[in-house]
Amino acid sequence: MSVGKILGLDKVVTLFNIIRQNGGIRASLYKLYRQDELKDGVLVGEDKFGNKYYENPRYFYSRNRWVEYSDKFNMDYDGSQIPAEWFGWMHYKTDLPPHQDPSRPRYKWMTNYNENLTGTTAQYVPYSTTRPKVEAWLPPRKSSV
Amino acid sequence: MSLAKIFSVSSRVRATGTGGIVVRHAQYSTPSEGKVEKVYPPSVSGYKYVNAEDPNMSMKEMSNRAAQTLFWTELARGFAVTLAHVFKEPATINYPFEKGPLSPRFRGEHALRRYPSGEERCIACKLCEAICPAQAITIEAEERKDGSRRTTRYDIDMTKCIYCGFCQEACPVDAIVEGPNFEFSTETHEELLYNKEKLLSNGDKWESEIASNIRADHLYR
Repeated sequence: MSVGKILGLDKVVTLFNIIRQNGGIRASLYKLYRQDELKDGVLVGEDKFGNKYYENPRYFYSRNRWVEYSDKFNMDYDGSQIPAEWFGWMHYKTDLPPHQDPSRPRYKWMTNYNENLTGTTAQYVPYSTTRPKVEAWLPPRKSSV
Repeated sequence: MSLAKIFSVSSRVRATGTGGIVVRHAQYSTPSEGKVEKVYPPSVSGYKYVNAEDPNMSMKEMSNRAAQTLFWTELARGFAVTLAHVFKEPATINYPFEKGPLSPRFRGEHALRRYPSGEERCIACKLCEAICPAQAITIEAEERKDGSRRTTRYDIDMTKCIYCGFCQEACPVDAIVEGPNFEFSTETHEELLYNKEKLLSNGDKWESEIASNIRADHLYR
C-alpha cells in the first residue's frame, strides 16, 4: 500500500480526473447543478434524442450505469425520456447496448418513442372506439319549417 | 434429568445437553464435574453474546464512564461519524439518471402486440376479460370486413388494474402483455382509462423491449 493511498490522496486524484473529464470547473458545476452528481465513466452510446449513456464499474451495481439527458431537455428531464431500445440496458436486463444487440426486432410498423406526455397538450385523452349501443332519438325534422 | 423427563425432551437433545434442561444462552461446564456452573457471557468461539452485560464496576471504568458523560465526548464522536458519511459513497441511486435493476418478467404498463407483418394479434377471445380479477378489461368484438374476428373495443381501466399479470398468462396469442414501462403516471384519472388505440400504440412503442423480455424468459415458460 502506497503512502498516497494511506493518506487518501488517490481520492483527490480521482476528483481532479472527474472534473477534467466533465470539461473543467464551469462545466462540472453546471453538471452538478443539473444532475446533483459528478461522475466519471466510459461513454457507451447515444440514443436518437441525444441522451448519453455512461458506465463505470468502479461504482456499485445500479449506480454503475447512468444517463445524461440531452441538453435540449434542459432541466425538464424525465425518467421516461429513455427510449425503449435503451431501457433494457439501463435497467441491467442486458449488457448489450441496442446497437450491438442483433436480436432486437426492427419492424417497419414500430413507432417512434415518445416520453410520458401527461400535462401537455399532446396528452392521451380517452375516447370510445365503438359506436354507442344506445343512441339518443333525434326527432324527425319537418321539412316545411 | 428429572426435568427432561417431565417435559419429555427427546433422547437426542438429552444426549447433547449437559445438565438436563436445555438453556440456550448459558454455557455449562462439563457434566463430569457434577455441579453445573454457568458462565456469562459464554466464551465459545464462533458465537457472540448479544444480550446486555453488566457494566464493569471497577473504580477506573466508573470514572471513565463519568468522564464521557461529563465532557460530551459522544457529541464529538457523533459529529465525526456524520463527517465521515459526507465523504462516503451514498447507498442510494440518483433516480432519473441512474435506475435500479429490473426483471424481464416485470409487469408494468399494458400493451397490445402485433405480428411481425403488422397485423394485430388480438382475436377477441375475451379470456383476459374473463380472468381479470379486478374486472378492469372491457372487450367488444365484431367481424372485420375481411372476415376475421377482431376487437372494436379493448379498454383497460389502469386504475382498477392490480398488475397481477393474469391477462398475459391467459392470452393464447401473446397479444396483451404487461410491458416493462412503469413511468406512465399521469396528472388526471381519465388519462389512465386506456382504449385500444392507446394500447396498440404502446405495443408499437415498446415492441423492441417486449420482444427482448419474452426472448430472455422463453426457456422458463
